[in-house]
Amino acid sequence: MAEQDPRLESIARELAQFPAAVLQQYESAHDKARALLSAEDLVTWAEQGAAIARQSVRAWEATVDYYAASMEVLPHFSFANFIPWARYGADLCQASPTIAAAYFRASPHTLPHLRPRQIAGWSELGKSLSKGTWKSTALACKFFEISPQMVPAMTFPEMERFIRFIDILSQRSYDLATECLELSQQVFAQLGESRDNFISLVTALADANGNWREVKDCFAVGSRAVSRIERSQRGRFLSLAERLSRSGQGGVISFLRDGSQGLGQLDYSTHPVVISLGERLITVAPPAVPPFFAMVPAVLSRVSPPQLETWFGEGARLLSENLESGLAFFRMESSYAEELLDRLSAGVELSRVRDVVGLYSRALAGNDMEIAPAQELVDKGIGWVSGNHATIEGATLYLPALVDGAPTKQENFEKLKVIATHQVVHQEFGSFGFEYERPATLFRDLRPLVQQARHHYHNRHHPKPEEESAEEATSVEEAVASAEVVEETGPVSVESGWVTDMQGFFDIFPERKMALDVFTVIEDSRLDARVLREYRGIRRAYRRLQQESLDERPRITEMPAQQGLIEFLIRVSLGQRSELPVATYLAEDAMLMAKLALRVMRVGATVEDAAEATLRAYLFIAGIPNHFIPGNAWTYVEVPDEDDYEDPENIEDLLSRLDKPEQEEEEQEGEGQGQQPYQSPQDVEYRGEFKPELVQLLEEMKEAQRQANEGEAPQLTREMLEELLAQSAELEQGGDYDLDASATAKNLMREVGMKLPPKEAAQGQGPFIHIEDEGGPLEAKDPHTSVYDEWDFRAGDYRPRWCVVREKTMAEGDVGFWQTILHANANMIQELRRQFEQVRPETFRKVKRLQDGEEYDFDALVEAMVDMRLGLSLPDRVYWRRNKLERDVAVLFLLDMSASTGEAIDESRGGPDEWDAPNNPVDYMLWLRNRRAGDGPPRRTYKRIIDLEKESAILLIQALETLGDKYGIYGFSGYGRENVEYYTIKDLNENLSDKVQKRIDKITPLHATRMGPAIRHSVKKLDDIDAKTKVLFLISDGRPQDRGYSREGVEKEYAVHDTRKALLEGKQKGIMPFCLTVDKAGHDYLKTMMGDMGYEVLSDIAMLPQRLPELYKRLTV
Amino acid sequence: MEQARVRGTGFQTLQIEEYVVEDEPFYMPLGNEIELFEAAYLQKIPVLLKGPTGCGKTRFVEHMAHRLSQPTSIRQKDGHEARPVPLVTVACHEDLTASDLVGRYLIDAEGTRWIDGPLTRAVKVGAICYLDEIVETRKDTTVLIHPLTDHRRILPVEKQGLLMEANEGFLLVISYNPGYQSALKDLKHSTRQRFVSIEFDYPPPEIEAKILEHEAGVDEETAMSLAKLGEKVRNLKDHGLQEGSSTRLLIYAGKLISQGVPAREACQVSIVWALSDDIQVQRSMEEVISSIFE
Repeated sequence: MAEQDPRLESIARELAQFPAAVLQQYESAHDKARALLSAEDLVTWAEQGAAIARQSVRAWEATVDYYAASMEVLPHFSFANFIPWARYGADLCQASPTIAAAYFRASPHTLPHLRPRQIAGWSELGKSLSKGTWKSTALACKFFEISPQMVPAMTFPEMERFIRFIDILSQRSYDLATECLELSQQVFAQLGESRDNFISLVTALADANGNWREVKDCFAVGSRAVSRIERSQRGRFLSLAERLSRSGQGGVISFLRDGSQGLGQLDYSTHPVVISLGERLITVAPPAVPPFFAMVPAVLSRVSPPQLETWFGEGARLLSENLESGLAFFRMESSYAEELLDRLSAGVELSRVRDVVGLYSRALAGNDMEIAPAQELVDKGIGWVSGNHATIEGATLYLPALVDGAPTKQENFEKLKVIATHQVVHQEFGSFGFEYERPATLFRDLRPLVQQARHHYHNRHHPKPEEESAEEATSVEEAVASAEVVEETGPVSVESGWVTDMQGFFDIFPERKMALDVFTVIEDSRLDARVLREYRGIRRAYRRLQQESLDERPRITEMPAQQGLIEFLIRVSLGQRSELPVATYLAEDAMLMAKLALRVMRVGATVEDAAEATLRAYLFIAGIPNHFIPGNAWTYVEVPDEDDYEDPENIEDLLSRLDKPEQEEEEQEGEGQGQQPYQSPQDVEYRGEFKPELVQLLEEMKEAQRQANEGEAPQLTREMLEELLAQSAELEQGGDYDLDASATAKNLMREVGMKLPPKEAAQGQGPFIHIEDEGGPLEAKDPHTSVYDEWDFRAGDYRPRWCVVREKTMAEGDVGFWQTILHANANMIQELRRQFEQVRPETFRKVKRLQDGEEYDFDALVEAMVDMRLGLSLPDRVYWRRNKLERDVAVLFLLDMSASTGEAIDESRGGPDEWDAPNNPVDYMLWLRNRRAGDGPPRRTYKRIIDLEKESAILLIQALETLGDKYGIYGFSGYGRENVEYYTIKDLNENLSDKVQKRIDKITPLHATRMGPAIRHSVKKLDDIDAKTKVLFLISDGRPQDRGYSREGVEKEYAVHDTRKALLEGKQKGIMPFCLTVDKAGHDYLKTMMGDMGYEVLSDIAMLPQRLPELYKRLTV
Repeated sequence: MEQARVRGTGFQTLQIEEYVVEDEPFYMPLGNEIELFEAAYLQKIPVLLKGPTGCGKTRFVEHMAHRLSQPTSIRQKDGHEARPVPLVTVACHEDLTASDLVGRYLIDAEGTRWIDGPLTRAVKVGAICYLDEIVETRKDTTVLIHPLTDHRRILPVEKQGLLMEANEGFLLVISYNPGYQSALKDLKHSTRQRFVSIEFDYPPPEIEAKILEHEAGVDEETAMSLAKLGEKVRNLKDHGLQEGSSTRLLIYAGKLISQGVPAREACQVSIVWALSDDIQVQRSMEEVISSIFE
């Protein structure tokens, strides 16, 4: 070792006073430093460490790190730069040795990323975080700790801003600041260029009062959110969020998440447009920005970006006029927004044209046709898997929910019409009426031959066929509830133990899937040809779609032989007649197939003809190995429009091709090289899904169920169904609902209402549908439901399809109640009847002295004759006429059956009814079921409001029957907008019967009071009635209220205004509304609700039974 | 009662009981309604024609009046005197009173003068009296025809204090559309049960097409399309439409088409707008039309 500088020695001595680690570190560093530094500098270097150690009690810790770090720093730094660096450390050490230590530790990996002049700033940043407290020290350390990663990840000014943010945040919470600092590592790595905006955003959040807690979520959500957005737009999106936050708007985090998700669904190219619109929107009304971003994917799925701007402009205009209506617009909770969108978009939404298409299909099919979105059938899980394809099942036509693709609305609608027409003609032209035994009209029937041939074959190969098939037949026969007895005509019928004819037909074919595909093409060509013949008007659109479908067909030349032939057939069926590629050696078969197709296109072809054609086509195809065909072996053929098909002479021999399955294995071994497994052709979109076997099966099951209900035939068993479905080629794998035969069978049975084994039955009640308020428009899917708009008075527009009213007939109770009331009120009833009889006017009243009439009024006539003789002018008023003064009144009484009607009218005599309706919807349904199923409420000793309502109803009926007015009595209650219950006690068109009397007994307090939809439903009922005077009489016990029947759950006026609007709608239809309430506090809201429409607040509830008929009399006489 | 013919002016005025259907009205039978009617006529059994509007009830009565007037008709063969059977048609409406049918006093210079109503006149001359849409009349009016429709065949004329026995050839025919009446406007059973009923319905498409070809003068294809349209539109009955499209409306459409009006337009004015005011229903029908016609 060389001679030591005495100064160094004294430093070493000094250092030795500190814990050993210090000297140790010094010595190892000294060796290295000596090589790099001049003697003078070396002393300065060493002295610096000692100076740090001297500063305070624990400063030596920093010294250790100083020496350690300097070893790595020195090689890269000039000593002139080194000194300041060390001095900054020393400064930090004055604040806290721990921070200084962290500073030194971080330096080797941080400094390479910093310019020398930035070092001061860097250390300053750390220092700025330190406030002398323990937590602030930890934060500052944290900062230095992560600096090696952070510094290269962002620019220095960015870092400065970020640390300033952390500083601000730390004043709120050190824990939060520390966490954010930690999170920042990964976040900034992902943020890229938009760091700056992100820092602004979080700073804004930290600034804003009350929002700072969201900062952490912002870190958690931010990077993921940004990753969904197009790179160049990320910054703009973040600064939008920042502005949102600065506007004092909450929910920035959900905006980041939902908004970016919205954008994520869009094409990157539209991001700038959408964000620009967002930027415009935030200047008008920040609260509208989140809903806009949430809705934008839905909007853009229907319109182009320029159209979006038009739509947006309208919304922005609304916003500037009325904030609430603008907000509703952007939430798509306004009819106007939907309408406008519909006007702008070229796509046709099924829900908007459902009625028209429904009536159209009804007209064509000649029976009831329900229209439903295809997805609904898929959801049933009974064998259909595609939500985009149209199909028909029974009396329901399933269509795609949205048809677009064509540039104009007109064309899209035409497309929908073609799709619907093609499905409906399945019914009109009898696709599902296939009968195995019914002869074809244009072909020689091969089907009987098949059966014979197969039967013989069967006999040969199975030693005990008789027994076996007989067994089969009886079991199936038992099962098939159809009364049809399969005739025992020789050996053939033994085999015909099918549930459906279609099943029997497909049973012929070893390769069922292929048979179904061929049948589909051939039957579709039959239908299309007939449509084109009989519906000339739709030809143009039809042909266009056919052409479009042709353009989308895959290339035949890339297919193996069998598939190629089927594809060939599809093209012929779509109208292609020339340039058809065919493998040269198959040209003859192809021509035969084309002619088959042309034959079924002929006038008079039936579904049985299609079946015969299918059989033949199958025979031809089955004889061809499914090989790929080399490129040079193709020719192009033309198909002349001549229908000159003739069976080849050997056609009967070909039938043996149906026997293949037994030899399948040998064959595959024998000539299996290059043999491709058969694959179904690509669908022709407009033709939708064709499942004749399933449709027939469903029909059969419904029929069986109907008969079973009548207590006749045994039912199909589930095992049989499963077996049948397992065979069926129509059960496809894949799709959203990959169901096996067993699950499908279960669903099918549920669909037709067959009883399931007890275990399943419990689950089979179906889930109670619960939809949140925030959800969009609803649909009336089930029978006896209707959907109504709801008025949002703040927005000044309707919320479209907002409430579902479920109409039910009230259960029947005991007629005793009716009789008791009649008995107890005998006197009053007599009085009532007397009063009302007086009201009943003379049907005809003679009006005298008219200019024109039925007959002479002889008194007037005699006077006239006298006058005439006297030479006076002849008076002309000498006739009389009977004037009809028929009373023609229809009235609908709407009873409030809300929970509160269970309250006792005299509070001293008892508390409210055993009112314990749970708030959870599922529990509520169970509760409701029990309540209804109960054997009637226990006898009470006190009267409830509802009892008075019931009593009033009975008295009123007496009066109304005297008058002969048309009247209906209904009750309503419900829970939530998707579940407004509407009970028929007496229908407007129903006569008074003991059923009605029994139903009154069952009127019970239920749940909430959503008046609007109940009134709208009543208005619809009254509107359907033919009467001169129509009255809607509402009897309630309080203000309208329901879950979600308010804006943001607070404004009670929302319900009042909606109710008012509903009543006004009725008034516009010539229906006189009247509201009678027993709510003493009713005056305050009834004034708003009823306006100039009639109402009365009953001061004494007990007066209700008397007052009601009085009021009615006053109203209608 | 003289017959006033104003020659050369293009119109003629007839006393109602003088109206005899001279040119054979086109009628295509759907079943044995002609034979039934003839039998009823010979046996003096009143006839009730049931069926929807515009399906040919009135045309049928005219056709029968003509047929029975022919010298070769079954009536003459049955040994009756050879003379034409006049046809008196009364379109009933809700204000039709008894005096509108039977007759009334009118004032003249001397005092009052009695005028026979159409029913009285038909009774006197032995005409077929056709009360179209009988249920439209008031119930008290309907009762009036009761004595005429049983074995008595008399018409009491209360105001004159007379009883009028029906002439040999008299037959009462009423028509009734069971479809659109409300319960209020149902035919009373005491009335119904005095008639034999012949049911009418719209003809099947093939026959309707022939009728259209004949009546509207359209070609076979158009006639087939119109008949198809009729069939489809009728499927909408009770589903937005109160009544299906009548054969009459189809004929109107056909006539417009043969006048050169484009088919879709012709159907629009004669069928769509005639049948419904509901926009949805109208649109549905338009879609059916645009599917069928180019």
